[in-house]
Amino acid sequence: MRQARADEYAEFAAARAGHLYRSACLLTAGDTHLAEDLVQETLGRIYVRWGRVSRVGNPAGYAQTVLTRAFLAHQRRRSSTERATDAIPDRAATYGGHGDLPLRLTLLQALAGLPAKDRAVIVLRYWEDRSVEETADALNASSAAVRTRCTRALGRLRQLLGEDLGEYATP
Amino acid sequence: MPVEHDEEHFAGRLSHALHDAGDRFDADRAALVAGGLVRGRRQRLRRRAAVVGGAAGIALVGVGGALLAPWGGTPAPRPSTSTSASSVAGQPSGTPSAVPLTGRELIATLEDLLPEGKFSEQQARGTEDSMPAPYVRLVYDDGKGPGAIGVSLNRVKPGSDQARETTDCPDNALVPHDSCVSTRLSDGSLLKLFQGYEYPDRRVDTRLWSADLITPSGQHVSVSEWNAAAEKDAPISRPEPPLSTAQLKELVTAQVWRKYVEFIPDDPSKPTATVTPPSAPAEPTVEAILGTLVPLLPEDAEVVDRGSDYSYVVVDDGKGRSLVQIDVQHGMGDVADELFGSGSETLADGTKVIERKGPGDKGVAGGAMWTVDTLRTDGFRIAVSAFNAGTQHEAPTRETPALTTKQLREIALSPEWDQYR
Repeated sequence: MRQARADEYAEFAAARAGHLYRSACLLTAGDTHLAEDLVQETLGRIYVRWGRVSRVGNPAGYAQTVLTRAFLAHQRRRSSTERATDAIPDRAATYGGHGDLPLRLTLLQALAGLPAKDRAVIVLRYWEDRSVEETADALNASSAAVRTRCTRALGRLRQLLGEDLGEYATP
Repeated sequence: MPVEHDEEHFAGRLSHALHDAGDRFDADRAALVAGGLVRGRRQRLRRRAAVVGGAAGIALVGVGGALLAPWGGTPAPRPSTSTSASSVAGQPSGTPSAVPLTGRELIATLEDLLPEGKFSEQQARGTEDSMPAPYVRLVYDDGKGPGAIGVSLNRVKPGSDQARETTDCPDNALVPHDSCVSTRLSDGSLLKLFQGYEYPDRRVDTRLWSADLITPSGQHVSVSEWNAAAEKDAPISRPEPPLSTAQLKELVTAQVWRKYVEFIPDDPSKPTATVTPPSAPAEPTVEAILGTLVPLLPEDAEVVDRGSDYSYVVVDDGKGRSLVQIDVQHGMGDVADELFGSGSETLADGTKVIERKGPGDKGVAGGAMWTVDTLRTDGFRIAVSAFNAGTQHEAPTRETPALTTKQLREIALSPEWDQYR
């Protein structure tokens, strides 16, 4: 890598690593080790393609897409060796803001209860604030499929967390 | 509509909750960046190895690098007499790194981790030289006088005598010192913080403060600092070394050093280093991919530009420029479901094909991106996309891409690609 480009990459990586890590922590529902691994994988892929990535308008958005896909690919690999559980137990009573756990942990537990793709949709839509179309693009899915997943995931989270996300209520 | 309104309301609160939860995850950014660099360079090397010697190239690079390193030499800075036995790695545990760590990276990392000040007389050795133990040292001046600071990296066998000697405090009668504390950190690492003197007989009162960290997997990071611009033979320049014990601890425990330890090649005298071919074929080079792609393009599409580090061409059929991108990838079988969902077809030989017509890059009004994505049963993937502009992010130069989806499909399914499987 030529020096100027290497410097540019280093600056990008240093500026985005923190945000990518936080995204990865949400995608993995708080598995910080996996999150670190995914961020390094993402930065590695960006490094190799930096020449092209830096030419596209939004390298930060591109990195987020790479991260999301790396996460989903990891989940695919894992699910071939582990039993996938799609049925979420009804634990609404033990979740909810009034439980013993702070809401942050309750939320991570609830995210963990979602299928990986649904979690990716939630993170892209409500943490990255991406539109349905942008989310669909990142997931190589149709907008309709994203809408369906989103509605389903919101319904489940609501069921798991209860209505009581009160302390974050927007005025 | 009350249901939709409710959903929006809940989504708004969820977004707040996600931001609150996400923002509390704090990363060691330097370690993440270093880790990303390691992986990126390995991937890049894999690509280059494919150019020179095919699949075996990469493994040979790794082993060849290690063979050049005579193991067991005396590594650089030895922080004090009490740690004299600590520096020679006996039982290396990591895997050989094909890409050397450079001295320049070590210097940049140390400067980055130190508080603001002036740096001079930087010296470092990465893993590209014949000696296996990397180190970096420099003179740091926080405005109160220069002081030498050195970091050296190595591996030790966890639990060995050598590891204990490194992290146990020495007997004050043998090694006079002002303070020494040895503790176990929450991650299981052992840390020794030592405040003593460069010359145990105190013939010159140069102070040496050091921190030695050994992780449960045997990574050894050693940081030393002096109240003089050099370890020896330099006048005392300040009452104490520049970093406090707390700063020393912060520096020695920075995750990035542990990542760097993984660059140290394994001991080549151990008969474990064997040449094993990588499990997946090497990625073809951009040059090779484009060499295959160009003859497959329609005759009227003249190639006006081509990528050098990414596989794309820009064609012009007389109606405007059109970017054509291609991805040739191995081992993509595990994401088949992600890529080939509804709307995909499966050919007689099991190859999956999906055609997508999308708006292209967001923010480009009127942009069009047409893609044909294909996946062979062995996980070999060819995806070809054409845009209605000469780049991915510029305004359209034409209404539709220069290639039809039928033409893209013919390219993606051409048997010519089988040479890279």
